[in-house]
Amino acid sequence: MKILLAVSSLLSLLLCLAAPLLFFLGILPEASYKLALLLASLGWFFLATSWASYGRKKSP
Amino acid sequence: MASGLAKFTSAMDRLYEFDREPVSLDKLQSGGKFAGLFAGEHVAATEFVIGAFFVLHGVSARELLLGLFLGNLLAVLSWAFICAPIALRTRLTLYWYLRKIAGPGVTFIYNIANAFLYCVLAGAMISVSATAVGLLFGIKVPALDAVLPTSAGWVAIVFVLGAAFTAMAILGFEKLSRFAEICSPWIFIVFVAGALAMLPKLGVGRDLANFWQVATTKIWNGVAAGGQEKFGFWHILFFAWFCNLAMHVGLSDMAIFRYARKWTYGFYTAFGMYPGHMLAWICSGIMVAAVGRQMDPGLMAFEAAGAAGIGAVLLAGWTTANPTLYRAGLALQTVTPNWPRWKITLLAGGATTVLACFPVFFLKLLDYVAIYGLVLMPIGAIVFTEHWIFPLLKIERYRAEARGWTFNWAVLAVWLGTLAACFLLPIHLFFKWLPGWFIAAGSYTLLMGLEGRRRGTK
Repeated sequence: MKILLAVSSLLSLLLCLAAPLLFFLGILPEASYKLALLLASLGWFFLATSWASYGRKKSP
Repeated sequence: MASGLAKFTSAMDRLYEFDREPVSLDKLQSGGKFAGLFAGEHVAATEFVIGAFFVLHGVSARELLLGLFLGNLLAVLSWAFICAPIALRTRLTLYWYLRKIAGPGVTFIYNIANAFLYCVLAGAMISVSATAVGLLFGIKVPALDAVLPTSAGWVAIVFVLGAAFTAMAILGFEKLSRFAEICSPWIFIVFVAGALAMLPKLGVGRDLANFWQVATTKIWNGVAAGGQEKFGFWHILFFAWFCNLAMHVGLSDMAIFRYARKWTYGFYTAFGMYPGHMLAWICSGIMVAAVGRQMDPGLMAFEAAGAAGIGAVLLAGWTTANPTLYRAGLALQTVTPNWPRWKITLLAGGATTVLACFPVFFLKLLDYVAIYGLVLMPIGAIVFTEHWIFPLLKIERYRAEARGWTFNWAVLAVWLGTLAACFLLPIHLFFKWLPGWFIAAGSYTLLMGLEGRRRGTK
């Protein structure tokens, strides 16, 4: 579970970077880029917080 | 007076009691932990302002890249060759090592100075966050030459943010510190994302072929904005070097490096310097150029990254003001020995919020950072001299501790004298600290050598 949370939180961080890259390359329009960045950011906060709390709960 | 000071210093000692003993070998940390710590520590709200100011000060692209590369290298070397070796040999915090050298009275004054400087720094971070919230309510950011609060709306936002940051610092410093660890990689990504998204607005093509041409003509074009001083290579190099002067040359980071296995862990600071103090500054420069060189971090971030940008400015201010408020509170606790931690944090937060209302602290952030480092630098020079130079010259060390001095007057005289000399030096503020360091080291060696000879203790 911890690995899954770690991988998905890192993926959401990568998505935060992919969104402006796609906008820069002209693949995404500006509004979509900003929305994608916001959603990926929320994903990062949710997943990374769960990842960090999971590690603390399991540690002695 | 003497008994009052004794009361304060004993309270101060109790406060720092937990790190009075040198760190034991079983508590030492791995290099990876240091890399992670530094990587997360140097992406703050102020990065939105610093990189943008370099553009307004008319730095050219070549000067910026070279200045930042070399200045950050000098900062890393200062941590590795000045701060880390002393921390490893003593395994003490600066507080306890300075106490042996300067006596509890000087350490007390140092703490108060530190508390005030921390409050101003946290105030600047609140101001930066206020630009993001102000944008939502249509409140204009003060003009570049503003000193006093410019509108009731600005004051109201600063007070609301200051109250919120202080309340959260009181309620859960530990939890917020853990939250800050989650925020820092994301804030860094928002810097990169914002800069990348602003490139098309500046005319950079998808193949990046004209990037250098845009960088040299539209971003760092060497033309200073109206009323701003022109900066060159040396300004940038020195700024990047002294940006954390209190931490490396000023030795505050002994508190961190006393846990290091090797002095070479000082080089791990590069993980904080190059992403935070090079890449993030470059990114904020790109963002400010794309919004017509307006010094408005909230607007910059919103235009570049939308709601996530606003969140980044707010969170960067919040997560970095929090430990700064905590440190200010810790330092202030020495003058209010019987107060609980919440009351001290409330006092520090209140003072910080009032300071944050004055836009001059964030609009003159570059000068403030220079002054902050300069004020604390002589103490670092004194400790360095006592640690390394005195044994070479066979001058007795730790006289304050050995003789039970409350004040080592030589330290106080050298500290104040160095600041006076730096003030009078006819050079730019950014460059004053370097000759100042040699003035402090030389005059302290001379004074303590003479004092030793006078007492026949050499």
